[in-house]
Amino acid sequence: MLHDLWTGEIMIRFLLRRAPSVLLVIAATSVIAFLLPRLAPGDAAAAAAGPEATTEQIEAMRVEMGLDRPLVEQYFSWIGGLLTGDLGQSLQFNRPVSELIGDRIGSTLELTIAAMLILTVVGIGVGVFGGSARSRLSRLTADATNTLLLATPPFLAGLLLIIVLGVALPVLPISGEVAVLDDPVIGLQYLLLPAVALAVPMSAGVARLVQSSMHNVWQQDFVDLAVAKGVPRRRISIRHVVRNSLGPAVVALGMRFGDMLAGAVVIEMIFARNGIGQLAVTGVQNADYNLVQVIIVGAVLIAVLMQLMTEIALAGLDPRVRLGA
Amino acid sequence: MATNTTTVNGPANGAGNVGAVPRPSARRSGGGAWQRYVSALKRPRGAVGAGLLALLILAAVLAPVLFPDGYDDQSSGALAGPSAGHWLGTDELGRDILARTVFGLRTDISLLLTAVPLSAAIGTLMGLAGVIARWLGTGMQRLLDIILGFPGLILGMTIVLVVGTGWLALFLSILVVGLPMFGRQARAGLLAEQEREYVLAARVLGVRKRTVMVRHVLPNIIDPIVVNASVFMVVAIFIEAGLSIVGLGIEPPVPSLGAMLNTGARYVEVHPAYIIGPGLVLLLLALGFTLLSDALNKAVLRR
Repeated sequence: MLHDLWTGEIMIRFLLRRAPSVLLVIAATSVIAFLLPRLAPGDAAAAAAGPEATTEQIEAMRVEMGLDRPLVEQYFSWIGGLLTGDLGQSLQFNRPVSELIGDRIGSTLELTIAAMLILTVVGIGVGVFGGSARSRLSRLTADATNTLLLATPPFLAGLLLIIVLGVALPVLPISGEVAVLDDPVIGLQYLLLPAVALAVPMSAGVARLVQSSMHNVWQQDFVDLAVAKGVPRRRISIRHVVRNSLGPAVVALGMRFGDMLAGAVVIEMIFARNGIGQLAVTGVQNADYNLVQVIIVGAVLIAVLMQLMTEIALAGLDPRVRLGA
Repeated sequence: MATNTTTVNGPANGAGNVGAVPRPSARRSGGGAWQRYVSALKRPRGAVGAGLLALLILAAVLAPVLFPDGYDDQSSGALAGPSAGHWLGTDELGRDILARTVFGLRTDISLLLTAVPLSAAIGTLMGLAGVIARWLGTGMQRLLDIILGFPGLILGMTIVLVVGTGWLALFLSILVVGLPMFGRQARAGLLAEQEREYVLAARVLGVRKRTVMVRHVLPNIIDPIVVNASVFMVVAIFIEAGLSIVGLGIEPPVPSLGAMLNTGARYVEVHPAYIIGPGLVLLLLALGFTLLSDALNKAVLRR
C-alpha cells in the first residue's frame, strides 16, 4: 500500500488535483499580507521614518519602501523577492528579515518538535488507555482528566507549571533557553516545561478522538469474529482496534500543527524564549510590516503544507482512504 | 490555539470525513429544538456546565454591585498578598485583584456572547450561499479555505495590525476565526438535506427554493451549528487570552482575564496569587462551556 502510494501515479494525480486550492490559499495569503501596511490606518512610510522625520525624509522612505509605485508592480516585486530569498529589511531592527528569522528559527523548531513528540505520545497513549479501560473507575478517570485538559489552554498550563515546578519547588528553569544542539543536558531542561505546556492541553483533543474511535471499532464485526476465534483481548486491542483507530488522531495531529505554531507564540512569551513568536509579537507591536508579512506568509505556508501531508499520511495508514477518490 | 474541538474539519476534499459529530441528517425523534436543548441540561455534564456558567455570568453582570469601587481603585498598597480586605491581594498598582478578575470576566463574557453568535450566523449564511447561486457557494467555500489556512493567533495578529489593539480587534478575531467551522458545517448539512425526500416533496409542490431553505432545511441543520457554537466558545476564550497574554489584547486600564494573566505572569515569582484568580476563572469558564457542549452534543445529535 505505502509502496503503491509513494511511487504510483495516484500520488501525482492527487497532488495535481489539490494543487489549485493549495496555491489559491497561499496566493491569497500573500496578497493579504502584502496589503497589510496599505490597509492599516495612517501612513506606513511616516511610521517607518519615525516621529521626528521631515517631509523629505518621509518621501525618501516612501520611495525606499517602494510605496510610490503602482500596487500591482509593488506586489510582484515583493513576491519576487520572497521567492528569490530576499525577505526585505526589518524596520525596527534595521537588519535583513532573513537574518532575524535565521537567528530564531532554531528555538521555535526545538519547541514545536519537542511538543509534537509529547503530543503524539501522550495523546495516543491517554486515548488508548481510555479506550481500553474496562473498569468504571479508570474510564471515569480518563474522562475527567480529558475534560479538564480540554478546558486548559497551553498558557494556563505553562503558568501552572511555572508556579509549581519553577517557583514553589524550583527544579527546572522557567525563563530563557539554551540551544539543545549546543548543550543537550541544560538545553533539554530549559525545553521541558515549555514543550509540556504546549503539548499536554492539545493532547486531550487527540486522546478524545482516539478514545471515541476505539469505542466505535470495538463494535465492529471483525472484532466479534476475533473474540469468537478466541484471540486474546490484548492482541485484539493492539493488532486490530488500535491500528484502526489512529486515523482521526493522525488527522488531528496534522490539522493542529498550525495551532501548535500559534500556541508556540504564547508559550515563547511566557517562558521568555527568543523565538519566531516573540519576533512576530514585537513586529506587530512596532508596526514592523516587512517582518510580520514574511512571518504570516511563512506560518500559513507551513500550516497548509502540513494539512496536505496529513491527507497523504492518512491514506497511507487507512487502506480505505484513497487519494484518487 | 484551538486545542479542543470535537469536530475536526476534515481534509477539504473529503478524503476522510472523521468528525466526531455525526452527520446532521441523523434521525431524531419528536420534540422541538428547544426541548432537545433543555434535555441536555438534565444530563450530569450539562447540569454542572450550565450551573457553572450561570454562576459566572451572574457574577459578571453583578460586578458593579459586588465591587462598588470599580476595577480601577488604586487606594491600597501595590502587590500585597491576600488579606481580609483584598481576598486575592492587590496588583502592581494597588488595585483589588478579585474585583479586576470579576470585571475581566465581564469583558470576556461580553466578547463571547456577541462575537460567537454573530460568527455562527455569518458563517452559516456563507455556508448556505450556494442556494442563491452555485458559484457564490463555491466562492464562499474558497474564502473559508483561505481563512482556515491561518492559524488562529496569526489571524488575530493580522487583524491587530489593521485595526490596532483593543476590544474591536479581539471581537473581529473571534468572529473571523469561527467562520470556516460554521460555514463548512452549514454547507455539509445543506448538501445532505438537499437530497432528502421532504425537500423534493416541497419543491414538487411548488414551494419557492428560498422558502424551502428557511422553513425546512435550516431547522434541520441548526443543531450541529448550536453544538459547534458551544464548542467554539472555548476556542474564543483562548483567542482572547492568547492575544492578551502576548500583549495584543484590550487596552488598559480595562481588565480582561487574558490581560490580567499577561501582567500577572510578570510577577509570578513574587506574587503567585496574582494569576491564580484570573487563571482559575478562565479555567472554570472554559470548563463550563466544555461540559455544556458535551451534553448538547449527546442530547441533540446522538438520539
